[in-house]
Amino acid sequence: MKFTKSVVAAAVTSLVLPLAACSGSGSGSGSVNLVFRQFDPKGEVAGLTTAIDAWNKSHPKIHVEMQTLSPNNVQQFAREANSGSGPDIDQIGYADVAFLAKPKILLSLDDLMKKDPVPGGTDNLLAKDMVTFDGKTWAMPWTADTMALVYNPKALSAAGVKSPPTTWEQLAADAKQISSSSSGKTSGFCFAASGSATSSQWNAINYYIWAHGGTLVQKNPSGAWQPGIAQPQLANAIQYFADLFSSGASPKANQAVQDYSDPSIVNGLATGSCAMSYEPPATFAPLLKQAKAAGTTLTTAPMPSGLTDGATHLGGRALGINRNSKHPDEAWQVIKYLMSATTFKTYSQYPASKSTLTQLTVPESQQGFVKQLPHARSFARYIGSDMTVASIEQLVNQRFSAVYSGQSSSSDAAAAIISGLTKGLKG
Amino acid sequence: MASRSARRQPYALTTPALIVIGVLFVFPSVYNVVLAFQKLSPYDTPGDATWVGFDNFKAIFSDPQIGSATLNTAFWLTALTVAIRLVLGLGLALLLQSQVLARWRLRGVGRTLVLVPWMLPPVVAVACWKSIFDANTGVLNQFLVSTHIVSKGVPFLAQTSTAWWSVIAIIVWRELPFVVIVMMAGLQSIPKEQYEAAAIDSAGRWQSFLHITLPNLRPVIVVVVLMTVIQTFNNFVYVWLSTGGGPGTYTQVLATQLYSAAFVANDLGQGAAIGIVMTATMAVFALIYLRVTGDREGRSA
Repeated sequence: MKFTKSVVAAAVTSLVLPLAACSGSGSGSGSVNLVFRQFDPKGEVAGLTTAIDAWNKSHPKIHVEMQTLSPNNVQQFAREANSGSGPDIDQIGYADVAFLAKPKILLSLDDLMKKDPVPGGTDNLLAKDMVTFDGKTWAMPWTADTMALVYNPKALSAAGVKSPPTTWEQLAADAKQISSSSSGKTSGFCFAASGSATSSQWNAINYYIWAHGGTLVQKNPSGAWQPGIAQPQLANAIQYFADLFSSGASPKANQAVQDYSDPSIVNGLATGSCAMSYEPPATFAPLLKQAKAAGTTLTTAPMPSGLTDGATHLGGRALGINRNSKHPDEAWQVIKYLMSATTFKTYSQYPASKSTLTQLTVPESQQGFVKQLPHARSFARYIGSDMTVASIEQLVNQRFSAVYSGQSSSSDAAAAIISGLTKGLKG
Repeated sequence: MASRSARRQPYALTTPALIVIGVLFVFPSVYNVVLAFQKLSPYDTPGDATWVGFDNFKAIFSDPQIGSATLNTAFWLTALTVAIRLVLGLGLALLLQSQVLARWRLRGVGRTLVLVPWMLPPVVAVACWKSIFDANTGVLNQFLVSTHIVSKGVPFLAQTSTAWWSVIAIIVWRELPFVVIVMMAGLQSIPKEQYEAAAIDSAGRWQSFLHITLPNLRPVIVVVVLMTVIQTFNNFVYVWLSTGGGPGTYTQVLATQLYSAAFVANDLGQGAAIGIVMTATMAVFALIYLRVTGDREGRSA
């Protein structure tokens, strides 16, 4: 009997010990252990790892363990936090901060900011509207990105196109010219155009609509949400993208591509079979290396109408503190370090802090991002209704895709989107 | 008269199993039913849920998308793939059991090769097939273009004429080994004497197949149909990862609708309601199936 009890005790201990080790916030020998979770692929965070290593070296009392959970799964963080666990510091996509702020899964940072302000203040931070809800700050804007036009100058000049397009209409004409003058060897404009929920055509569609003065959803003066675009205007936008395929400006193969980082687009740019596309900074950096190795020159420019305020999106990541963290003060210290110029010297992202951005040297090939960023506006313009941004994205991607594949006309697809938005926004 | 402890023994022995069933099966099922009458986001705790009555069911039954997703699930995803797997699975099982392969000492190699797709995780299988189907760099398109069957790569997963057939190819390829293995087990259990007797009566191979193999395999086929139908009807991975439900909504199925409702629109209640509709559909199928097989067993007894 005694033996049985011992076995049971040993079994329970062996089960519980690893769980205790997973909790992350424990402290031993006077030092604090913090878990920092981020979701970018390992290949893109070597510089961040260097920055964290440097922190650990210079701060023996606050040890940071970087945890990579890719792709982004904010719902997992919510589940963990709701059950009393989770990492101390979480990297959060801007569009997700609202979901975590509403049920107070994150710790409000106002007291910490008051006690120990961010160098340079918070006034110079981009995307503040994405982290502030009900008058409280729930996360710190950390990195800023947008989609810039990535192009191959040689492919453009070979087709007689002297400079990258500055309007969407010009982009369609230039792309068609590139495709036809190369007899189809080089596609003018490549973009992920599948109908999946997360297809990257979402960015281009919004940029086009915003550049033409529309918006998919908006708040009316009485505070109610409604579609922000008329059906004919939306039908024109759909027809514009459908025409890219029918004119040969874009390859039909792109209709099966879900992401801007899909090998068919990235390799196409690197090997010269795609003349133009759009990419965020994190994808552009490794793409540039790949292109150099293949003997291709790539550079960036602002997207069409990208220098018009609000015609492109401001994305990026924020940093929040889990409400369950036992060491919020230490976590705040780490967040401040991650926001500093020291981190961005090795981490190849653009800081959301304008003052930090000015301290960095950005190569000529990436100036498209730098020029566009101050004009980009966040997706906060779509947040607050009963319809999630992801739902709007899915509806729009599906309906655009239905037109490309001949299932519906652009006017029918526009009507379906307006109807779906009207229904969804009512809750 | 049995002692008190002897009388308690059956309860003591079954209690752990009942607890496991209760925690892992009964509780989640009951909670799913409760959730279907609530509004709750994945970011909230269960305590934050609000009761909405039948609103979630009203919403899904008034959504035309659910109708087309149900049809897609029943016909393209389930009926077609199960039928193709049955025919191909039986054919392959017969081939692997054949004397020819045994004579050439290829039976072991054949059986191993048939198992390969099943060893791959479905996610990896879909990734491989997506690469094969790629319009620019895919092996299939390279072959079709180089042999002048088509002039340009075909975006198989992006056009309505090919999207479902491509998804079916992926499912059949990945899931066929299960059918083959079960059919082979069934074939091995058929007494050789029956074939010998048929041969003595001058029955040909086709007659032996029709009057010995198929009747003997009937119970195996019934089990395979039940298992593959349930497994496929609920499947999410193949469609979501290969087409994302596109082009447009052409390949949307109930499982992808459920995911979209619960985790894209953040409405767990509506996702749960779709889950109940799916379960109810499967329950009807299972009851019909049990009735049919029960009648048959009754008649044969």
